[in-house]
Amino acid sequence: MLIKRKTADVQRGRLQAAIAGLSSGVMDRRAFLRRSGLVAGGVAAAGALQIGSVRKAEAAGLGPATGTKIVKNICTHCSVGCTVKAEVANGVWVGQEPAWESPINRGSHCAKGASVRELVHGDRRIKYPMKLVDGQWQRISWDVAINEIGDKMMQIRAKSGADSVYLLGSAKFSNEGAYLFRKFAAFWGTNNVDHQARICHSTTVAGVANTWGYGAMTNSYNDIRNSKTNLFMGSNAAEAHPVSMQHILVGKEQNRANVIVFDPRLTRTAAHATDYIRIRSGTDIAVIWGMMWHIFKNGWEDKEFLAARVHGMDDVRKEVEKYDPKTVEDITGVPEAQMKRAAETFAKVKPATFIWCMGVTQHSVGTANVRAICNLLLATGNVGGMGNGANIFRGHCNVQGATDFGLDISNLPCYYGLVEGAWRHWARVWDVPYDYFVTRFDEVPAKGGRPARTRKANMETSGHTSTRWFDAANLPAEQVDQMDNLKAMFVMGHGGNTIPRMPDAVKGLEKLELLVVADPHPTNFVSLGGRKNGTYLLPIGTQFECAGSRTCSNRSVQWGEKVVEPIFEAASDYFVIHKLAQKLGFAEQMHKNYEMVQGKYGPEPSAESILREINRGGWSTGYTGQSPERLKLHMEHQDKFDLVTLRGAKGSPVENDFYGLPWPCWGTPELKHPGTHILYNTSLEAGNGGGTFRPRFGLTRERTLADGSKVNDTMLAENGSHSLNSEIKDGYPEFTMGVLKKLGWDADLTPKELETITWVGGNNIDAVNWANDISGGIQRVALKHGCVPYGNGKARANAWNLPDPVPVHREPIYSPRVDLVAKWPARPDERTLRIPNLHTSVQKAAVEKGIAKSFPIVLTSGRLVEYEGGGEETRSNKWLAELQQDMFVEINPADAAARGIRDGAFVWVSGPENNSKARVKALVTERVGKGVAFMPFHFGGFYQGQDQRGNYPKGTDPIVLGESVNIVTTYGYDPVTAMHEGKVTLCQIAAA
Amino acid sequence: MARMKFLCDADRCIECNACVTACKNENEVPWGINRRRVVTINDGKPGERSVSMACMHCTDAPCAAVCPVDCFYTTADAVVLHSKDLCIGCGYCFYACPFGAPQYPKVGNFGSRGKMDKCTFCSGGPEADLSPVEFQKYGSNRLAEGKLPLCAEMCSTKSLLAGDGEIIAQIYKERVVKRGYGSGAWGWQTAYKENIAI
Amino acid sequence: MRFGAHIRLLVTGLLLTFAVAFAVPASAQQVNPTADAVRERQFLDALKGNPQAELQGRITIPDQKAATLERPAGRDWRAFHQGTMLRIAAIAILGTLLVLAVFYLIRGRVRTEAGPAGTTITRFNAFERFVHWLTAGCFIILTLSGLNVTFGKLVLLPLVGPQAFTNLSIAAKWAHNFLAWPFMLGVALMFVIWIKDNIPTLTDLRWFAAGGGIIGKGHPEARRFNGGQKVVFWSVVLGGAALSVSGFYLLFPFYAGGVLNLQFWNVVHGIVSVLMIALILGHIYIGSIGMEGAFDAMGSGEVDLNWAKAHHSLWVEEEMQKARAGADNRLQPAE
Repeated sequence: MLIKRKTADVQRGRLQAAIAGLSSGVMDRRAFLRRSGLVAGGVAAAGALQIGSVRKAEAAGLGPATGTKIVKNICTHCSVGCTVKAEVANGVWVGQEPAWESPINRGSHCAKGASVRELVHGDRRIKYPMKLVDGQWQRISWDVAINEIGDKMMQIRAKSGADSVYLLGSAKFSNEGAYLFRKFAAFWGTNNVDHQARICHSTTVAGVANTWGYGAMTNSYNDIRNSKTNLFMGSNAAEAHPVSMQHILVGKEQNRANVIVFDPRLTRTAAHATDYIRIRSGTDIAVIWGMMWHIFKNGWEDKEFLAARVHGMDDVRKEVEKYDPKTVEDITGVPEAQMKRAAETFAKVKPATFIWCMGVTQHSVGTANVRAICNLLLATGNVGGMGNGANIFRGHCNVQGATDFGLDISNLPCYYGLVEGAWRHWARVWDVPYDYFVTRFDEVPAKGGRPARTRKANMETSGHTSTRWFDAANLPAEQVDQMDNLKAMFVMGHGGNTIPRMPDAVKGLEKLELLVVADPHPTNFVSLGGRKNGTYLLPIGTQFECAGSRTCSNRSVQWGEKVVEPIFEAASDYFVIHKLAQKLGFAEQMHKNYEMVQGKYGPEPSAESILREINRGGWSTGYTGQSPERLKLHMEHQDKFDLVTLRGAKGSPVENDFYGLPWPCWGTPELKHPGTHILYNTSLEAGNGGGTFRPRFGLTRERTLADGSKVNDTMLAENGSHSLNSEIKDGYPEFTMGVLKKLGWDADLTPKELETITWVGGNNIDAVNWANDISGGIQRVALKHGCVPYGNGKARANAWNLPDPVPVHREPIYSPRVDLVAKWPARPDERTLRIPNLHTSVQKAAVEKGIAKSFPIVLTSGRLVEYEGGGEETRSNKWLAELQQDMFVEINPADAAARGIRDGAFVWVSGPENNSKARVKALVTERVGKGVAFMPFHFGGFYQGQDQRGNYPKGTDPIVLGESVNIVTTYGYDPVTAMHEGKVTLCQIAAA
Repeated sequence: MARMKFLCDADRCIECNACVTACKNENEVPWGINRRRVVTINDGKPGERSVSMACMHCTDAPCAAVCPVDCFYTTADAVVLHSKDLCIGCGYCFYACPFGAPQYPKVGNFGSRGKMDKCTFCSGGPEADLSPVEFQKYGSNRLAEGKLPLCAEMCSTKSLLAGDGEIIAQIYKERVVKRGYGSGAWGWQTAYKENIAI
Repeated sequence: MRFGAHIRLLVTGLLLTFAVAFAVPASAQQVNPTADAVRERQFLDALKGNPQAELQGRITIPDQKAATLERPAGRDWRAFHQGTMLRIAAIAILGTLLVLAVFYLIRGRVRTEAGPAGTTITRFNAFERFVHWLTAGCFIILTLSGLNVTFGKLVLLPLVGPQAFTNLSIAAKWAHNFLAWPFMLGVALMFVIWIKDNIPTLTDLRWFAAGGGIIGKGHPEARRFNGGQKVVFWSVVLGGAALSVSGFYLLFPFYAGGVLNLQFWNVVHGIVSVLMIALILGHIYIGSIGMEGAFDAMGSGEVDLNWAKAHHSLWVEEEMQKARAGADNRLQPAE
């Protein structure tokens, strides 16, 4: 018999550990790399298997993690912002420990977060720069790579203009990386710079910002603990944001909260609902209006709130009248009783929060969907308080930050837009003459009946969206509203399988003269299509391999320390952007404000100094108070924050601060603004995290009465609505120097602030406002008097500048209900962001061709918990890949039986465009209703039945490959942001 | 001495698989061995529930009883461990286990599947605590470091609880009282012959 | 000991697994998933009606075995394996040994009454003896290695210590795995070469009625194989087949279709084994110390004519006739 272990043994553990640590021959990083054959020189032979086995030996040699140091960083997957605690021994990341002290995740992770260590030491990473020569991958040095890429970019610029180089950035960047990349685009002279927000929440940002001022989640994950009703629509948080479910389920238990889930699929989230309501994909507006119909009819709306803080709800009321229960049931499939119950719960069991994700945003009516939801929140008075609000769960770890820093075709950092004032503001912050930027932009000749554009006009024109980059390469030059078609793509951290119409993307790829993929793992851009030359692959470190801040969905900014040096020959984002800027000749100007530090392959700007520059310029969004020092202090004292209010404990170094200084964090860091946990919250003082709706749509709005006479409605808050202890007890416009003077508050400005304001304002000092006063004086004085710098206005129920000012239901471009298309048609053809957007033509053609008959199944798509985004990094992670080894399509048992499809068998899913088809496994399940299919969107590497594993450089192919859902998804773009219609199309499924 | 137990609160489990990858990460468990897994019952139907399952470290463990070479032992913390030096890979423990916990490194026929591997409650094996050889054979020994199994520590919704049986039962009962209904502590009756009411 | 449960395990276990399906509300369109949640209580209730029930769900990894969340049936198997099986084995084997010992003490060695004739007759040719010893040899090792699985830890482990016992058990495991094949071959060959002499006849009844000549007085008639030997033959053939089939599934578990089936085959293998061991013990007894002259049949293959006449009178007559007929034929040309 074995001797049972005694208690004494257990206690002896630590001493033994120390001894074991000494005797077990712990390997340092250098030895690890050497034994992996990965130091320069021996790399070529290093195949994936070899490294894998060495790693195992190395891990075993290390034994359990002992004698290690702890480094804190943030998970690089979804937007929840879980703290990752890494144990590092001799430069090797040897273990992960739960970060109990983080108020966001309290030690928890999902499958992805619990396996991020493998992401960094993964043996399928890109190991060195490579280029494609006649279809063969060749190893090159960083110098050669940057030189050749730079030369080619200059050559294309000379021929086709700066706009023909597409700069596709990433939501995986740190804030500093995102900001630097946007700045790089400005110096290069193009607005063709975009990132994943385009395909995730661009419509949310547009819809929400156009309603009440800022395009972001109004509350936080933690705050949902206060909610009494949670309404999910098009969000599967259990799989996409698993750690958020901790807060949601605790709230559900403690408040006995209602959890209502509207979704075409019975998701893992729906399984935990108290009310699951199946809807038809693409009928969100009809659902919301259906709820509002009951709310208005029964007088459940919050009349006081509407009178004080909302403009134009009567216009909505008029539209909603058309959506009686019968009509709504016909469109959405939701019976009246159920709709009424949901509406009553949402309006009466308050606080109620609305949580949405890509199920709402990825539609040709995405912005209108979002606007409808905002109206529901406004009508029920569920914005701006604890436990309510628009809880928009964003996707990637820093998609909020990357959006904030203008990795976007229509914005400079911090939502300044592209107007001259915005350019001048940032030119001042960057200390570069405004005229320099004007010279960098293309002049666009007149074509296709459109007038020519000067350099300055082009500089102020929104760029081309990432959802349709291939259209910009493929369409006749005349239709593309820039100097020339797209000729080059510089892709930094963006998947190639994440947008519909992949057969068209394949054609586009073949047209490109230059394709640069800079990523930790080769993305689908590498494997797709048949490129033979002009393709470069650059190894980039993950965010665990560099320092920087990232903004989670709730706007909290968290600082991550570098865990390990970039592995293999990978380099940081900062290094690559700097090096390329150097090659292109503007590095000195671009990096003049930064402290340069020695990176792995040369000098690179320090993240801290980039953040300080952001602090000097990010006034409009309140990105000015989050200095590196304050953020680091927060990370150090994570345990001092309250779990629900996120407030720093009394007596602690972070007293009164909200965790991560969620923006807006007004004024300079010295002002110690605590950040804003809940936006538009009038129950707090402006200087203490309170807020109001932002009046950014004019001060009055003309309205025509029934008798034809006109009145001007105010757009400022009324009935004494104001943030706590505001000296102005009613609505007020944004603060400018002129306003300060009128109020007599200009006397509060210090001489130094006044000096800066005078410098900014030149001969029109009164026009200097809270957003471009670099001194922060105007913000400081406004806050001193209890006022919100941007003003106190009304939210808009009617967004008159948008295509559908009051949302109306429109059938999806590919609708299964042909009979409804006539009554609820798509928008007429128009031009959206530099190219045509043929809503009606495509929808009409589909109806005429009888697509709904030959492709009778509604196809929707979404996330799996194990994978993220395009999926390369997670599909290369053996711990995750093991859990999802095959691409699949969920199909209802009835549809499967009718087609002779067994669970687990291969099927062909075919789409209505380009004769597209994908060979995937069938997952026969009642998760989807009859006539509906679902496919996850993380797969790539198979194309229409063809295995493309050979297209990846040897040893870097992801473990799991599969067909991408976007091979079969189709046309359909939002008129505001060109968001693709990824959540509803039609398909046919047949046994393979 | 504490009696260590696992408890999966199915009302909280969302099948995020954090427990699964945390286990792989902490113990360097190779591909194909699933010390922990999440099973979804009534998938896609209303009432669907997911449960994270691994070795439950049963009271009077069936695996230990049927082992022909008696390679199992129970620690002072009531964790059921085994010696890979003694295991002959016969598979009897898999026959007897009510939870499908025993795993084998190779897919093969009788006796050719290698030494059995299973959840150790992150407490290593018979080798010296925290020694490299213990790590290599059994994975980490968090208990010896005063920590609990990483799967439970990292559970996204705090559904999976690990630790002193009485404490976790208490936590669970408090939740049940708060929310007004139980989720059934899956496996408790089978593993511990204890009926945690509700 | 819940014997009923074990019987069910044996009989109703029957190669089928029963997954539990829970009732689902009719309309999936309009539901409260939380209120409808599956609870363990339902499963435990289902177990009362069907102890073989196992709870199956969906899992994303390819190993579908892992989709079984709970299978409490293992408890019954365990109780069988650690209780019933031990008792059956102990009773069967020790009991048989005891009976034989007592019998030996009372009856002593069965002598050939007529004494040795001096002349012999060929009872088994070389091939037959090879087949017998091949099977027998394998059986003995399979028995010992098999018993080790059940009794080793009770008997051997305390004697030799854990590591040595494991080494021994590993060797035993491989021996069991590999010797199973020649054993199966032996059984198959025995079946082929001896089937014609083992068809039961009325003679066998008379033989049994006379107590096989061992218990009563005087020798009942028998042909090549007497009633008792036919029992051994058929037991070996049928038992061997049962062991082969059950052993095959245990050896190649992926063909068995689930753990419940493996448990079932394990039970079959165990019970048939110990019954056969008991039977073969008797066979060994009678073929060695139990009866004078019997061992020669499988030893040299030549048995004393008097022994043969005593025990297999009809067979001797047949052989004589054959011999005479052969002799006649041979002599004919000379006449």
